[in-house]
Amino acid sequence: MLLQLKNVFKWVNTGGQRIFLLKDINLEVEEGEFISVMGPSGSGKSTLLNVIGMLDTFDEGEYHFLDESVHTLKEKYRSNLYKEYIGFVFQSYHLLDDLTVAENLEMPLLYKKVKGSERKALVADILDRFNIVGKKDLFPSQLSGGQQQLVGVARALIASPKLILADEPTGNLNSQQSEEIMELFKKLNKEDGVTIIQVTHSEKNAAYGSRVINLLDGRKV
Amino acid sequence: MLRNYLKIAFRNVWKNKVFSLINILGLSVGLSAAFVIGAMVFYDLSFDKFHPDGDRIYRITTAFKSPEGNFYNAGVTVPLAQALKDLKMEELETVAPFFTAYPLHVENQETESRFKDPEFVIYTDGSYFRTFEYDWLVGDKNTALEEPNTVVLSENRARKYFPDQQLSEIMGKSVVYNDSIRTVISGVVANFKDRTDIVFEEFISLKTAGTQDMTNAVNEANWDNTNSASQLFVKLSEKADPTKVQETLAQIAKEHDDPKMVAIGRSNTYNIQPLADLHLNQDYGTFDFNDSRTTMATLNSLLLLAGILVLLGCINFINLNTAQAIQRAKEIGIRKTLGSSRTQLVFQFLGETFLLTLAAAILSVLLAKWLLHLFVDFIPEGLNFELFYNPWVIVGMVLLLLSVTLLSGFYPALVLSKYKPVSVFKQQVVPNSDKGTLRKYLTVFQFVIAQVFIIATLLVGKQLNYIMKKDMGFKTEAIAYFRTPWQDTSSVKRARFVREMETIPGLSKTVLSGNPPASFTTMSMGVLFADGEKEVNSYLQLLYGNADYFNLYHLKLLAGRLPLNDSVKEFVVNRSYLKVVGIDDPEKIIGKSLKSGDQNLPIVGVMDDFNQHSLRYGVSPMAFTGGSYSGKHTQFKTIHFKFKNMDTDNWSHTLAKIEEIWKNTYPEEVFEYRFMDDTIKSFYESEQKTSILLKWATGLAIFISCLGLLGLVIYTTERRTKEIGVRKILGATVLQLNLLLSKEFLKLVLIAFLIAAPVSWYALSYWLEGFANKTALSWWIFVLSGVAMILIALLIIAIKTVGSANADPVKSLRTE
Repeated sequence: MLLQLKNVFKWVNTGGQRIFLLKDINLEVEEGEFISVMGPSGSGKSTLLNVIGMLDTFDEGEYHFLDESVHTLKEKYRSNLYKEYIGFVFQSYHLLDDLTVAENLEMPLLYKKVKGSERKALVADILDRFNIVGKKDLFPSQLSGGQQQLVGVARALIASPKLILADEPTGNLNSQQSEEIMELFKKLNKEDGVTIIQVTHSEKNAAYGSRVINLLDGRKV
Repeated sequence: MLRNYLKIAFRNVWKNKVFSLINILGLSVGLSAAFVIGAMVFYDLSFDKFHPDGDRIYRITTAFKSPEGNFYNAGVTVPLAQALKDLKMEELETVAPFFTAYPLHVENQETESRFKDPEFVIYTDGSYFRTFEYDWLVGDKNTALEEPNTVVLSENRARKYFPDQQLSEIMGKSVVYNDSIRTVISGVVANFKDRTDIVFEEFISLKTAGTQDMTNAVNEANWDNTNSASQLFVKLSEKADPTKVQETLAQIAKEHDDPKMVAIGRSNTYNIQPLADLHLNQDYGTFDFNDSRTTMATLNSLLLLAGILVLLGCINFINLNTAQAIQRAKEIGIRKTLGSSRTQLVFQFLGETFLLTLAAAILSVLLAKWLLHLFVDFIPEGLNFELFYNPWVIVGMVLLLLSVTLLSGFYPALVLSKYKPVSVFKQQVVPNSDKGTLRKYLTVFQFVIAQVFIIATLLVGKQLNYIMKKDMGFKTEAIAYFRTPWQDTSSVKRARFVREMETIPGLSKTVLSGNPPASFTTMSMGVLFADGEKEVNSYLQLLYGNADYFNLYHLKLLAGRLPLNDSVKEFVVNRSYLKVVGIDDPEKIIGKSLKSGDQNLPIVGVMDDFNQHSLRYGVSPMAFTGGSYSGKHTQFKTIHFKFKNMDTDNWSHTLAKIEEIWKNTYPEEVFEYRFMDDTIKSFYESEQKTSILLKWATGLAIFISCLGLLGLVIYTTERRTKEIGVRKILGATVLQLNLLLSKEFLKLVLIAFLIAAPVSWYALSYWLEGFANKTALSWWIFVLSGVAMILIALLIIAIKTVGSANADPVKSLRTE
């Protein structure tokens, strides 16, 4: 088992009232799964993804990731854990504007303290795999949305994570670009065995996955 | 990793050109001031650090206690050296007395070349060379000064007096001082290579002084007379306790104090002054009088100034970078999700800060070079740009850079690295949640400093103007004077000089007398005023002159009469002396007399007070008296003259005529005259320097603070672009918008004023305390400087806000 959430609650207190963002979430994810999280706006999809990605904390419950109890870990170890095993893809790509494509791709490797020569090989490799060798010296602003997201996915993959978390990865793309990205996810899942959890609004995208989780008001339905 | 940081840092710096420039400029102003001041401090603290056993060498000096205060003399009584030697203290390795001498000329008779006024000549013996380690080029350190009529020259002097000769060849050759003292060269020592105050160049054996003497000091060997020409160095033995020596000296001083003097509160003590203390201790001074000296206090205030300027630059940095933080929040979020730890981010931002600091430093080194040129008057002669190549200075600069980086980069780095990716991506760090309280405090702090400086500049300027314009109490207009050569004993020549000057048509009056009423040279004597039961001991300054002199300067006689003629010892005291002896009515003191030693000096008149020196000081008790005693000891050596009309064009013509007479009378000497007005102006050199420095400091403080303000204004207005757009669509005018935008900042400036006003009032009243004559601390100074600050701030604000307020709202709203 890759990860397990047990009775996870997350809330905020506003004006004396407790508003639940996540309510009693139980979830088990096996390696190699491709899960789509669906639900209306404000149902807690992104929050769930952030909790899984260890970017956000929760107030109650347990979270086990590869036999580590995330809820008892200190911030520093948590960040080591997600640095090692998790890659993120965002709706608005979140590439660093001041760095070129190649430099953006290199970044996770830098933080993992990968050696220079190895870094170069890995970057070259992934550029090749994603067919963007010609774009390596361009800045994000010089790319189309689809291309930027391609770089985003490539960056998430470069450190060979076990899990990719994608928050509406096609939200800013047109239908053709969407399809390309989704096909890419499918291929990564099938051929490389990467576990993927995506948040999406579209039934069509959800269909790429092997399992769908529906959320409403922070609760699994 | 490092490369990546640098790359990002460089691109960030480049992208935010305006902010980076503001940061760099602000920092470089502070840094260049710090570099120059640091170099000055380093320079002044690096004197005489090279002597082997330098930490064991001390000079013995004298301090006089008296009811009027303490006086200091670098010299000691002549018998002290022998007394110390006789004690054979185990704490003292050497006792090295020496006497400074000022020969008129020295001659190499072989070549018949004559050198005028050789400087840094002393009489001393072998103990001097056992105290200070010189490099002997020829001659023997132990025997060189054993015999009378021997001299040791420095290499520089040897080369000057005996050009083109081997040093070994000049041994045994002779030089003659003042046509009478023949000395044989018994050694040549190398000049010290490093910075030193031990500047002596010619060492004549002490035994020579016994026979023929250029200074009276050597032979006036008694315990009552302290002459700064007679000085004493000692070298303590290893591990000796200096306090032991001090105690012995105190005992010697006590033994030889005159009980009569002790009874009226006068006594002297000897102090041991460490060699390291020589350079900056103005009480005792050093040996090179051409060199203007700074004090530790001056250095400290300069360091404070540098510190303030650097701090202002750092504050700018903190302000601008935390203000910019929001724009960088996204990057921080992304980096964190990609696995960056907080420490790594902190280092990244510190790296960026360092890059900017480094850029500022490079700029400052260039600025420092220029500053050294600009402030040449404030900087000792030996200090030049080469000092910046000194390894210690470089280490100091690097340390400064690192601390500036930490000081200015650490807080922004902490703020920035604190952002949580989730909140950044959810856009929870919306601009308005950033209140920037700290930034406001810091801006207020900057403006407080700028404001204090403005107020100080205005007041110091006002005070300076006040004391320079204030009536000294005597006439100075069109009056000039010059001193006849002091060593010339012939009063006949002087009298003839005056007679010849009287024939010059451009002059209305020529008087031979003592010093001018106000000058740097003062004479005084201790006197006793006895009136029945009452006895008052005090010092009395003396002014020597005759009736013509009295009238030339328009001194005012309040009661009695002037001395009958200028060779009778009759005194006209001033009003301040009346206060000292406690008499109100001038008429009542006339007929009484003063006692000095065995002499009775009758008081025949009272004159009105006038200032004898800078108006910083009050009027000293003074007496006017004749002084043309016959012969060598006459006080009448200065010729005062007044031009006939105010037609200044003719003055140079008249002066040329005087110079002509001078050349005929004293062909060997240089003619130097001074206008009374210039002399008075020169009293205020140090105040004028303060004023100039203050103007610069103020300018820089305003400059840095305004840069900071500009940055903040740019930032805030850009953040409020949308608000401006909305308000404009709702019908706000440009003026209203400007008012809206400026209000926030003006509030800060106003708060700063409210803090600065009392602070500077307090500090400046303290400063004014040091002046006997002080201008009022007027309210208008505060108002004026407050208004000036607000106007400057408004101007800065307007640079940005006018443009923003005029911008097309459609555009600003679309971009949002």
